[in-house]
Amino acid sequence: MNMHLWPRQLRRKNRAWVRRHSYSFFSSLGVLLQHRIGTLMTVLVLGIAMFLPLGLYMTLDNLEGMNLRQDEWSAVTVFYKSGTTQAEVERVADELQKSSDPKVVTIISPSEGMAEFREASGFGKSLDMLDENPLPWVMQVSPQPGPTEQVEKQVEALMGFLQSIDSVEVTQFDYKWLQRLGRMMELGKAAVSALILLFGLAVVVVVANTIRLDVASHAEEIEILALVGAGNAFVRQPFLYTGLWYGLMGSVLALALLSLTMLYLGRPLGLLLETYGTAFNLHGLGFSDTLWVLLGGAILGWSGAWISVQRYLRRLKVGGRLGRQ
Amino acid sequence: MIKFERVSKLYPGGSRALADVSFTIERGSMVFLTGHSGAGKSTLLRLVMMLERASRGQVIVNDRNLSQSPDRLAPIVRRNTGMIFQDHKLLKDKTVADNVALPLMIAGLKYADIRKRVRAALDKVGLLDKEKAWPLTLSGGEQQRVGIARAIVSMPPLLLADEPTGNLDPILSRELFGLFEQISEQGATVLIASHDLDLIRRMGKRVLVLSAGRLADDIPASDG
Repeated sequence: MNMHLWPRQLRRKNRAWVRRHSYSFFSSLGVLLQHRIGTLMTVLVLGIAMFLPLGLYMTLDNLEGMNLRQDEWSAVTVFYKSGTTQAEVERVADELQKSSDPKVVTIISPSEGMAEFREASGFGKSLDMLDENPLPWVMQVSPQPGPTEQVEKQVEALMGFLQSIDSVEVTQFDYKWLQRLGRMMELGKAAVSALILLFGLAVVVVVANTIRLDVASHAEEIEILALVGAGNAFVRQPFLYTGLWYGLMGSVLALALLSLTMLYLGRPLGLLLETYGTAFNLHGLGFSDTLWVLLGGAILGWSGAWISVQRYLRRLKVGGRLGRQ
Repeated sequence: MIKFERVSKLYPGGSRALADVSFTIERGSMVFLTGHSGAGKSTLLRLVMMLERASRGQVIVNDRNLSQSPDRLAPIVRRNTGMIFQDHKLLKDKTVADNVALPLMIAGLKYADIRKRVRAALDKVGLLDKEKAWPLTLSGGEQQRVGIARAIVSMPPLLLADEPTGNLDPILSRELFGLFEQISEQGATVLIASHDLDLIRRMGKRVLVLSAGRLADDIPASDG
């Protein structure tokens, strides 16, 4: 009979809930800003703890972007026996093109090779002394870029085919290096996961301990709140929000440290890599990664606070009896 | 409003705080609870607040049997009960207004409503000008009145006071009891634990006398 009443009652309840939460949200921030030094130290510890796995993650991310350019690394270079005719080279190239896996085939004639060498080596004059061009026909075959395993398979098939051709003298490829690098990256990623887990735990513990002290120093206030009718949720909220703020501030600090490190290391690293002939652009965390870091920090902080407050409330039984004074 | 049926309270360790206590307090009445310290006054109030549970017997407050209510209902019971403590129990790092606002914050009222009702409660206890003051800058009597404002701000049907005049001089005590009388005349049930016998006698209200955990006497109201 009161069915038409309850939605309004529910709405009123929801509004009360929102008001209580916004009260805790801002009052907890106010308390943190009141105790600046203590907050700063906790946030510093959290920021550094989060910075370490993030730094490794970003390093790997950059390495991956730089080195795993498969089109360069997975190319197979084919050297023909001297005396092979252009027609033969073109026949092999044709056959490769016709096979099922798409690939890019570049033919370098001996004269093209010589021109390139002349330019790159600076031996221009001395090369003129040669009677005839000693360079063989060369062919570069790049398989279609794709997932590592697929490329591996393609390269293997390609090698098999090329080695079966009489006119081919040597095939050369850098793919093993790519493979090794790939495996090392996988190892690195596993290490990042382990570190994230470990340092995530550290963040939870640090926040839990800070909040534990915080709760203990508010014992009197908690008792008074319970006496005037506060339930567990109301007592818990400000501490949970404090934990959330800690986590969030820690994440922000970790991200700031990451940016600073990039600024600091970016130039010397770029100069170093330039000597290897690699154009290198250090990139930071993307937008979604940044969001994840902020969210993750907030959740870890919240969880740490939850653990401490819950332990305390269970002992105190705020919801029920307060125990004997 | 409050009904005790053969209530006993034993604390762990065997000390007996209340033994076989039965009485009924009508809605809207004002009753004093007296006895020596250690007679069980505080324990009785704590049972009504659901801060303790009876070892035996039934405690019924506002038609709710507290002996059979789960712990999680305690906050709701306390929200419907205004409690005044001898040591005030004010938050030192919050202003007078914020202290009084606490029960309304817990209830999740709108800020504008909270402001209005806090001012009304402070006005009633004569402390409207101390709204922004810190509790520790107030005198004992003023702090006690802040506690009363907090207890009445949500207009609970039941008001409990544990030795509210413990630290006050006789004139202030008289004033305070007058205030309680006013509140009870507006419809609230008021139960005051006090050993200020002189003052209690002058008020002419019903008096429950506890002695060593037993209800030793029940003196009816003398005024018409």
